[in-house]
Amino acid sequence: MSAAKVGASPWRVGGDGRVSGLQQYVADVHLPGELHAKLVTLPVARARILGIDTSAAAQVPGVRVVVTAADLPQPVPRYGPQFNDRPVLAVGETKYHGEPVAAVAADSKDAAEMAAHLVRVQYEELPAVFTLAAALDPAAPLVQDPALRPGDPLAATNVMRVHRVGWGDVDAERADLVIENSYSFPAVTHFAIEPHAFIAAPDGDGIDVWSTIQHPYWLQRILSRIFELPLSRVRVIAPDPGGGFGGKQQIKYEPVVAFMALRVGRPVRLVLTLEETFQAVRRAAAEVHVRTGVRSDGTLAFQDITADYLIGAYVDIADRVVNKGSYVAAGPYRMPAARIVARGVLSHTVPSTAFRGFGNPQVNWAVESNLDDAARALDIDRLEFRLRNLARKGEAFIPWDTPADGDWQQTVRRAGELIGWGTPRQRGHGRGIAIGIKSGPTTGLSYSTVRLLGDGSVIVLAGTSDMGQGARTVFAQIAAQELGASLDRVTVVMGDTAIVPYDAQTSASRSTVLMGNSVLKACRSIQAQLRTMAAVLNGVAEELIAVDSGVVRLPDRELTVLEVLRAGLGPLGGELIGNGETRKDAEPEHPLQGSPAFFEFNCTAVEASVDEGTGDVAIVRHVTVSDVGRAINPLQVRMQDEGAAIMGLGHTLMEHYIYDETGRVRNLGAVDYRIPTSMDLPLELHSEFVENADGPGPYGAKGMSEGALLCVSAALAAAVREATGAVVRDLPLSPERVWRALRERDRERAQGRDER
Amino acid sequence: MVDMLSVVMTVNGRRRTLEVAVNRTLLDVLREDLELTGTKECCDAGECGACTVLVNGLALDSCLMLAVEADGAEVSTVEGLAKDGKLSPLQQAFLDKGAVQCGFCTPGQLMAAQALLAANPHPTLDEVHEGLSGNLCRCACYLQITEAVLAVAEGAHE
Amino acid sequence: MQPFSYERPATLAAAVALLAAHGPDARVLAGGTDLMLGLRSGSEKPSVVVDIKHIADLSPGIREEAGAVAIGATTVMSDLAGNALIRRYFRALAEAAAIVGSVQIRNRATLAGNICNASPAADTAPPLLVYGAVVVAAGPRGTRHIPISEFFVESGVTTLGRGELVTGIELPLPSRRTGAVHLRRTRRRGHDLASVTLCCSVDEGGVAKLAYGSVGPRPVLFIDDTGTLADPAAAHEAKARVLEGMFAGASPSKRSMRASPEYRLAMLRVLGWRALQTAIDRLAEERTHG
Repeated sequence: MSAAKVGASPWRVGGDGRVSGLQQYVADVHLPGELHAKLVTLPVARARILGIDTSAAAQVPGVRVVVTAADLPQPVPRYGPQFNDRPVLAVGETKYHGEPVAAVAADSKDAAEMAAHLVRVQYEELPAVFTLAAALDPAAPLVQDPALRPGDPLAATNVMRVHRVGWGDVDAERADLVIENSYSFPAVTHFAIEPHAFIAAPDGDGIDVWSTIQHPYWLQRILSRIFELPLSRVRVIAPDPGGGFGGKQQIKYEPVVAFMALRVGRPVRLVLTLEETFQAVRRAAAEVHVRTGVRSDGTLAFQDITADYLIGAYVDIADRVVNKGSYVAAGPYRMPAARIVARGVLSHTVPSTAFRGFGNPQVNWAVESNLDDAARALDIDRLEFRLRNLARKGEAFIPWDTPADGDWQQTVRRAGELIGWGTPRQRGHGRGIAIGIKSGPTTGLSYSTVRLLGDGSVIVLAGTSDMGQGARTVFAQIAAQELGASLDRVTVVMGDTAIVPYDAQTSASRSTVLMGNSVLKACRSIQAQLRTMAAVLNGVAEELIAVDSGVVRLPDRELTVLEVLRAGLGPLGGELIGNGETRKDAEPEHPLQGSPAFFEFNCTAVEASVDEGTGDVAIVRHVTVSDVGRAINPLQVRMQDEGAAIMGLGHTLMEHYIYDETGRVRNLGAVDYRIPTSMDLPLELHSEFVENADGPGPYGAKGMSEGALLCVSAALAAAVREATGAVVRDLPLSPERVWRALRERDRERAQGRDER
Repeated sequence: MVDMLSVVMTVNGRRRTLEVAVNRTLLDVLREDLELTGTKECCDAGECGACTVLVNGLALDSCLMLAVEADGAEVSTVEGLAKDGKLSPLQQAFLDKGAVQCGFCTPGQLMAAQALLAANPHPTLDEVHEGLSGNLCRCACYLQITEAVLAVAEGAHE
Repeated sequence: MQPFSYERPATLAAAVALLAAHGPDARVLAGGTDLMLGLRSGSEKPSVVVDIKHIADLSPGIREEAGAVAIGATTVMSDLAGNALIRRYFRALAEAAAIVGSVQIRNRATLAGNICNASPAADTAPPLLVYGAVVVAAGPRGTRHIPISEFFVESGVTTLGRGELVTGIELPLPSRRTGAVHLRRTRRRGHDLASVTLCCSVDEGGVAKLAYGSVGPRPVLFIDDTGTLADPAAAHEAKARVLEGMFAGASPSKRSMRASPEYRLAMLRVLGWRALQTAIDRLAEERTHG
């Protein structure tokens, strides 16, 4: 294994377990006496439940419990990360295709499946609203019971909330040209290769819950409330998830599994099928209308944006997604005036939740595409147009908020260089360039405890969830760097609320910055203790001693941390313990409840060609450059950015939910929902990062991992447009959609000829 | 009541005799009866490759095979790649090249890559992409996985 | 998974007897890549699954015999795609076999199973039609030879009778030099189901054949023996008339998730023209080097 130092790329911590197959994901955990659970859902988008007969199901040999809403405490507990709107099991009505109405637990998977099929639900299918137009129609059925939002004037509509951000006076701002267009972004699903899995087991007078959850402490808090147990009696064990991307952030079916476990007094496990994950989590679809005002000197005058997000039947974290996603919609530009109105619109569909990018990709698709239109109308180079208007480092681009925290022009120029912007293009090739920006965390709280053991080895306790982004390795590198241990002598313990101190959540690319800083502070605390030890041992004043990177520097010589530690601990042995806390308190008056701790900034540039006969898009070159502050692990940074870029190609080229005319999802599962395979990669994909040590994290790091996904669509559609003249404003750019745009272009050209 | 059948298979070099219900997949029997949980379950439709194992040297989706069909066969899973606690060159290459993120698709990728290199010791880039196209990776480590496979093919990891 | 009985007959006669006895309640298991999906989803509910991979008197593999290439019923796609005889004489079939699913699927999926599943989008069907394949089936009343053009009825339905089992597929060796190609439309470059799947051949006698699937209830074959399509010098309009005649009957499903009828019909034409040109080019190569 190579050097552990920060800035190196050692083997991933936890990598051994992953390549050997020995790592235990939740579905690999088995408890003695466990039962297997299966959810019961209806094959319709929305239904009134008239009655449920569980008698046949209960008689299947091996079945231990069958639960419906009637078997739960009354009124049925409701929960959710933002609002307590979601019942543990459907009450009176199923509000989307896939909402569970009952659950079964049995000795075997087969028995549970058989029993689930035998639960007889009498229901009446109801009309469902599953498009923005339908949900916003004044005559639309209400998705949510208005009684859940007393006093809220919007409760009589399917609009959950309206978020308004603006400055200046858009209507008074002088613009020589106004470009106005509408864009749409489809509903897509996370499709982590590991389906969600949950196990609940009674533990004395408390409960242990295993979950693929990204936010173990948040889950713990909600379970504690639902089951009226103190936090100390709710243990959440969260093994490293097999991919999360936001889809495992929030509580899902843990409550119903826990109810069954407590009812029967035995562990109960539920592993979702892939189809069930599509019915559990997705990204909000959106329709975005953009009016961009520009001046003939190539400067931006205003952005006037309305963004409607189609969220699901329960809010989950979708309102926050709408709020945060739309907040920076005007982009990282010098913008005299802006008006952004974003709405979350409830619908009879799978609850939308957090998904890499968190509401930003939808508006970015629209706003960056519209900027291209504006540049074209002004006859200004699209890269030059962006550079000219980009906020400079230290400038606020949202007047009251965190200023630009990077040399963003450097990032954009580098992307331009890498794609060969401005150099001659092959016939039939086109290039596009787009910028993505996303707010980092606006509030946060991460504790870490670091233990320097008697032999110099280290244990780091950090409650972050490592779902592949490599948090374990980053924290191990920091501890190894600060305490002078080699990486193979650092153990990182995560994912157990009973052992590891509190971490608010793993989201918004925060962990390197927030938890990283906590790990750093904990190490610094240990370094202070070592300084004291060295002072006492050597009769030297503390102020004259420095400790860094595993070395204790006395005025006249240097000692290793291990030498001081051994001598200082003495024959009783022991360890040094350091605690670190990083806190970012809420600012209740702020539109996001807090200013962004940093920004993720990315520039993506693409060169593509199009098969004019079929509409197939071939990406010749895809470059992605992110402003990361400091790459604590360069290889992991590259992996995250390239992974994000390819994931972005998914919703750009091929991914979308397909609904039938009643609102049922038609393409559940892997056969008809297509994600990029190894054969769907750009001919060349190249990622780079800019490091100016200007982030708030350890060694100047910023968070990253979402940036490279944000603006893929706009860059690719721009390349397609330059290559062919075809205009697409709705994703995905499937071959058929591109083909239609090409034929539309042909018609317009023919008309143009006819009219001359 | 489901019929039971006795099957004998050699799993990672070890002869195993099992009584299995005829309607159980090889995937389930490996994971549950043999407690070899390294092989993963995802789509259950032969689309994602997370359940890839080698049967008589051929890479296939174990979710699409009944356990009884493996009677008399040699089955290789990810747990059999390391020898005496030492990671195989392919496993090491995956770690070196950063071809592992969340790790859930990794066992399937390794088995598919193993079979690919056994049949074609010096594949081109396109052949690697094609040979592994049955293994979905949502973290999209594809570039790193390809690099790892090519590195082993070039003998860089002997 | 639902319960079922599992039989592993050792002889063809035993297999046929099982199938005849159980009729629609039996399913044949060869590669399992279609059957397992059906068992899991419940769309298939057999009481007995008949595994044919242990039948001693089922000729395995790919053999040249009596002026034809015989493909055994348990031959998998990866063997087909890599076989020297198939690549030499039936290049378009090798091409089609090479893109059925992923490597993992191709190591299991059999050609016989693919045609018995009778999906209109089966990629091997157009080449089999073009090459004039003959399906050999053993049944309670003996062996039948069914021309592939009489095999497919509609999605999931073939002309096999109760108790009949496909034992092999025979491809008559071409009597004339031929150029042929298989093309298809999918949603991504990675493995996928086709929204149009097509095969075109031209031979040195001037006969052109075009077969396509996924735009109607079953794959269909058209033959142009006027020499128009095969003639590189023929006028575009003349070829267009012939091709349009071949495409006229296409009726893509309005319910498909993969592509709209309009796009499919357009792609039928785009691929048809491209395939014709490639077939002509390959025949020319054959004549020069073959």
